[in-house]
Amino acid sequence: MLAKLAFLAAAASLSAQQTPESATSLSREVKDVFDRCAKAVVKIEATDQHGELSGTGFFVDPTGTLYTAYSVGGEAENVTVEFKGKKYPARQLMADLRSGIAMLKVDLASPALPIGNSDQLEIATPVVAIGYPLDLAETPSFGMIAGFDRKCFGGYFPTRHLRVNLPPQRGEGGAPLLNLKGEVVGILLYSFENNSSCYALPIEAAEKIRADFVRFGEPRHGWIGANVAEASAPVEGSRAVTKEIMKDTPAAESGMKAGDVVLQIGRTKVHEPEDILDASFFLTAGDVVPITVMRGNEKLTFSVQADFHPASHPRPPLLAAPLSNRAMPLNLQSAPERTP
Amino acid sequence: MDEFNDNEITKLLRLKRYEQPPPGYFENFLHEFHRRQRDELLREPLWRICIDRTRDFAASFNLSTLTSYPAAVTAVLVCAAVLSLRIYQTPAPATVAATDRPVLVAPASTEPEWTLASPVATRVFNTRSLRNMTKSAQTHRSGTPRYVLDSVPVSYETTFKF
Amino acid sequence: MNPAIALPPARRLTDLLSSGPDAGVKSKRQAMDESRKDEDQQLVARTQEGDASAFDQLVVKYTPRLYGLVYNMTSNHEDTNDLLQDIFSKAYKAIRGFRGKSSFYTWIHSIAVNMTLNFLKKRGRRFQLSLDDVDSSIQSDKEFLEATASSSPVREADLSELQKRLNEAMMKLSDEHRAVVTMFHIQGMPHAEISKILRVSEGTVRSRLFYANRQLQNYLDEFRKNPVT
Repeated sequence: MLAKLAFLAAAASLSAQQTPESATSLSREVKDVFDRCAKAVVKIEATDQHGELSGTGFFVDPTGTLYTAYSVGGEAENVTVEFKGKKYPARQLMADLRSGIAMLKVDLASPALPIGNSDQLEIATPVVAIGYPLDLAETPSFGMIAGFDRKCFGGYFPTRHLRVNLPPQRGEGGAPLLNLKGEVVGILLYSFENNSSCYALPIEAAEKIRADFVRFGEPRHGWIGANVAEASAPVEGSRAVTKEIMKDTPAAESGMKAGDVVLQIGRTKVHEPEDILDASFFLTAGDVVPITVMRGNEKLTFSVQADFHPASHPRPPLLAAPLSNRAMPLNLQSAPERTP
Repeated sequence: MDEFNDNEITKLLRLKRYEQPPPGYFENFLHEFHRRQRDELLREPLWRICIDRTRDFAASFNLSTLTSYPAAVTAVLVCAAVLSLRIYQTPAPATVAATDRPVLVAPASTEPEWTLASPVATRVFNTRSLRNMTKSAQTHRSGTPRYVLDSVPVSYETTFKF
Repeated sequence: MNPAIALPPARRLTDLLSSGPDAGVKSKRQAMDESRKDEDQQLVARTQEGDASAFDQLVVKYTPRLYGLVYNMTSNHEDTNDLLQDIFSKAYKAIRGFRGKSSFYTWIHSIAVNMTLNFLKKRGRRFQLSLDDVDSSIQSDKEFLEATASSSPVREADLSELQKRLNEAMMKLSDEHRAVVTMFHIQGMPHAEISKILRVSEGTVRSRLFYANRQLQNYLDEFRKNPVT
């Protein structure tokens, strides 16, 4: 009898929870996220070659380090950050075109947003963005994860991006994308479909760049020198076949050959050529990465030390180029040195 | 270290002259130019066309801009008379241009593909992009900053090279 | 090229559409310049008198040259097309005020360069490459043949890879530097003409060219590390 009563009481309380409470709990969570996190989000103003600009950024450590979009802090001067109603000068720590972000520094003790994990996101996961649209105060936006996209506008993103069904507004480039725990899972960078939707860089990609900065003072995009294409039939679950190993590259040095079907790069399993993009983005020049391939019936693993990505600033190659092996791309006559 | 010196760069640059638009592009250009002129004429309000024509007319005689009201009104009336005659004489293609217009505005929603250009005659090019930029330039000039939100990524990949 | 001074009424379109590379020999250029100037003067005069077909001839005459200029600055065929339309439209509206202080050539090139620079400023770094195909007439270019002769280690594929890198490197230059590189190296315009068009001293033109060359050199040197197989 007592057990029955207890059971009924429990059932009653459960059904009570499913009424108005759950409907408002989501709105409460969203409001909580905004209340907790808005103070770490700042308005950034600067001047670049096109004139004055305004965007958004957010602190990620207590010493005033902040993330923003490349278009906001990447090529700008006279950068000021508005925090608690006051403006502070900011300097650029680094800017990275490939990821589309920049890191700035303000000399003050700052609240910091905790870093989350975009791998835990799924389609329809609710998310919140906090930004500075136009000349307005910090503003929340609510939406959900709509997809994990590689393709964009006829090309490919440098690494997969989060597509978010949340309407961004001008000035919100660089805004943090937060899960309902208030952790940063992405950085809002691009609008899509007439501002009805947007793309965010997953926070892990930004953190890779930040880690490079901490280790080396700059982003270090890695490069091994292989070109991958789609195979007609999958081999061991992968359709990514190496169509070319470039001369004098880490891939060539390691023993990789054209025709090898790529199965895994570091921790990233490869099933199709597009997976290469993500794996490639996370390579760091100078680090050794294990690459597993299928050659005929053999599964081989190569330890490849990544070199600097060709798009990086000029740097001496990590591998010493043997003098005799230097390629001559153009057999054109050399002219006398031009005097300035 | 082997380096490209100025001569090599120069030669490579000169070879860029061979990058040419598709066949028929130049032949078609003039037709497109005329069509756009007719479009513009049809789009502009009559009074503005008159002011423009008057301004050009005055400029050819080195007159100062018509700031006096009576002169302006007279000029507008004269213009209107002249212009109505000209439009009367414009052949039928002008109306064809008018009906063509909606088609031109349509592609705003289509995603441009990164294919090498197809002949202009068959391609509906989006002139909207330049007009939008002029608009944003105007707001920019008035002293407001550019509120950043890119619509295109700052960096993209086109190959699976790593 | 037709050395005609007087302008016969029934001129063939194909004559005016010739867009081959300039000869580059100075005296020949001077002769061409003179006849071109006279022709332009006549066409401008007729346009100012109300003969719209004269302006049409100017359009046909200058489109290939201006195309090259604008295209190599923007690297986008569609933008180039839009800009060319706007350039000629602006020129047509302004031609009544053209006094002939400079040549029509300089005048219209000024309009073209300034409109393109303004456009590039607003377009910013975000753009879509929309490159034209390389015309088959390159096969008969002396330098191209030299570069791809079978005895050299270079094949056509290597050259096209280099050309691709060069296009990328060009886009990394500032708009102003790309403009002088385009005008001098690709369009073959002399320093004096470029300085008139940009309204800067010849010294500035030369130093911008030098700086831009060095930058292009650096970018291409990087790619040397990863030559094409």
